[in-house]
Amino acid sequence: MRKTFPEIQNPLRRSVLGLMATGAASAILMPRMVLAQQKTIVVSNWGGDWNDRTVKFMEKPLLEDRGYKIVHDLGMEPERKAKLISEKRVRRASADVIHINSSDAFELKRQEVVADLDLARIPNYANIAERLKSPYFVPWLYSGVVIIYNKDKVKNPPRSYAELWDPKWAGRLGLTSQLYFNYMMMASLVAKGNMTSVDEGKPLIEKLIAEVKPKLYAAHQQLQAGLANGEVDIAVNYKARGLQWARDGQNLAIQYPEDGAISVIFGACLARFAAHADAGYAYLDAMLDPTAMANLSAASLYAPSNTKAVLSDEVRKEIDFTEEERAKMHFLDYAYVADNTSKWLEWWNKSFAA
Amino acid sequence: MTVADMTINSAPRVAARKTRQRSRLPWLMSPALIFVIACLLFPLAMMLRYSLNHYDPAELMVSALTAENYLKFFSDSFYQEVLWRTVGISVLSTVICLVAGVPVAYFLARYTSALYKRVLLLLILVPLLIGNVVRTSAWMLILNDTGVLAAFLGLFGYTGRLNLMYTSTGVVIGLVSVLLPFMVITLNSVFEAIDHNLEDAASSLGAGHLTIMRQVVLPLALPGILAGSVLCLILAMNAYATPVLIGGPTFNMMAPIVYQQIAKAMNWPFGAALAFVLMAATLVMTIGVSAVVQNKYRKWSE
Repeated sequence: MRKTFPEIQNPLRRSVLGLMATGAASAILMPRMVLAQQKTIVVSNWGGDWNDRTVKFMEKPLLEDRGYKIVHDLGMEPERKAKLISEKRVRRASADVIHINSSDAFELKRQEVVADLDLARIPNYANIAERLKSPYFVPWLYSGVVIIYNKDKVKNPPRSYAELWDPKWAGRLGLTSQLYFNYMMMASLVAKGNMTSVDEGKPLIEKLIAEVKPKLYAAHQQLQAGLANGEVDIAVNYKARGLQWARDGQNLAIQYPEDGAISVIFGACLARFAAHADAGYAYLDAMLDPTAMANLSAASLYAPSNTKAVLSDEVRKEIDFTEEERAKMHFLDYAYVADNTSKWLEWWNKSFAA
Repeated sequence: MTVADMTINSAPRVAARKTRQRSRLPWLMSPALIFVIACLLFPLAMMLRYSLNHYDPAELMVSALTAENYLKFFSDSFYQEVLWRTVGISVLSTVICLVAGVPVAYFLARYTSALYKRVLLLLILVPLLIGNVVRTSAWMLILNDTGVLAAFLGLFGYTGRLNLMYTSTGVVIGLVSVLLPFMVITLNSVFEAIDHNLEDAASSLGAGHLTIMRQVVLPLALPGILAGSVLCLILAMNAYATPVLIGGPTFNMMAPIVYQQIAKAMNWPFGAALAFVLMAATLVMTIGVSAVVQNKYRKWSE
């Protein structure tokens, strides 16, 4: 009797499906098995030149050349944070070390997805500037929110955050929506002289929008372009970025705000459910290596958190903050920021909506 | 056994085999079905559940059964404005695509040689081979005040500001450029399927071009026009890259707002509720347009 096509097909189909299932399972399991055998570290980081410098000055010489294998998960911090938080339920983390800023680190700590650090396993931690230290966060590079201006077109720049409200800067000020909460902090400082009076600062932001009409850019690259093509002449952004843009050939100068700059600290945390915690500690210690940090600072123009980082006088003068400036610097009240940031973002969007 | 017997005997056997094969047919659907259930319905159900949860800044998402996220949307004029802007921009882009797409698709179907048509269709398809973000970035270079378009207009002595970037006009231009190929390709296959003889017949009976178009071609093409429009509308309603890149940070449309709530504000319940509102709005518009058009089509064809 002639067999029908489906009858011939059936056993074959089953074995094909079986093979496919085995293949799929091994594809899922294999990388984890292989990763477990080597000294692997999975690092969640920003992409672009930030990661390039991380690899060049730190990961390659201090870890990869010493037998570690580094796997990168690159992206913007909202996605990387969301990933870590959503993995909490299954009690695993797809990354061991996550590069993040200090306020996001606080949020991740509050979500219990990053670990309290055993500082004994990070010998270099002892040399970190006292004001930057935290039990769950390795501060790495820091900067301050300063006034960046076009030297040709602005002869008398605003000397403080408060002076930015002067209507004579109408149409000449550029902001980036990425830094919205720094601007909310700035308004809080101008309104009450502290970093926890954002509600009192809100009318000031509204006044700024109405009278100074700042141009809002989506990202710092666009702000840089805006400064270059003359759309705006003054920007409020990280000092390191102003220095980078000046290094790119733009005729820019930096004014440290007399009311004290708002600090921004970049660093890393160890994931609470890190699969390779030991290697993660090695990574965190390597981050703070004084030589690597000095090279990174010189290349990125962010100030080093390690006080032992050896910078040439010239570089230090350019990128670091003076003792006086550092003393005036304002640090975030992380709990206050984390409790309100979602509301602020909404308020910011509504206030600036076209 | 006679030939007649064989025929009589084999008939039920064939029927039985057919029934057997037919009973197996649903299994052919199972891979797609499993995929849809696992990768679409299950996440959707999860999102629906999330949208009923409560947001707390410290805990992020607290399990609850509350309509507060939907109430927030309907009590806050900002979010309603965002939805209306999304609807307006999407409808406008779709209409422009339709007006621009019909002549191109008709020309391709009727007035080009096979080779020429293949080349032209390929040219229309080429943009789809390049990522949406890349194309939109190119539009940013064209549309900005010191960009390619400004330089081109400068050749003719125009020196004013273009004011296209960060405006709804810019976003519509960007969206039309993204959606037009979808419209042209859908419409082209529809026009191809319409028998050319019908137009010749109409012509021989004395109908002019416009009458043929209005009375013969467009009514026949209506289901296809509907399909193309719905496709464009759905894509425009859910557009992300174009509003973000060309619209900039002060131009709010639904998809970027959903992303912002989920990823930046970490307010998953409200983000999920916004996603459902967007989906519902898209669904209502799609079904509404289909119903209206089909109703009209029935009248038209009678």
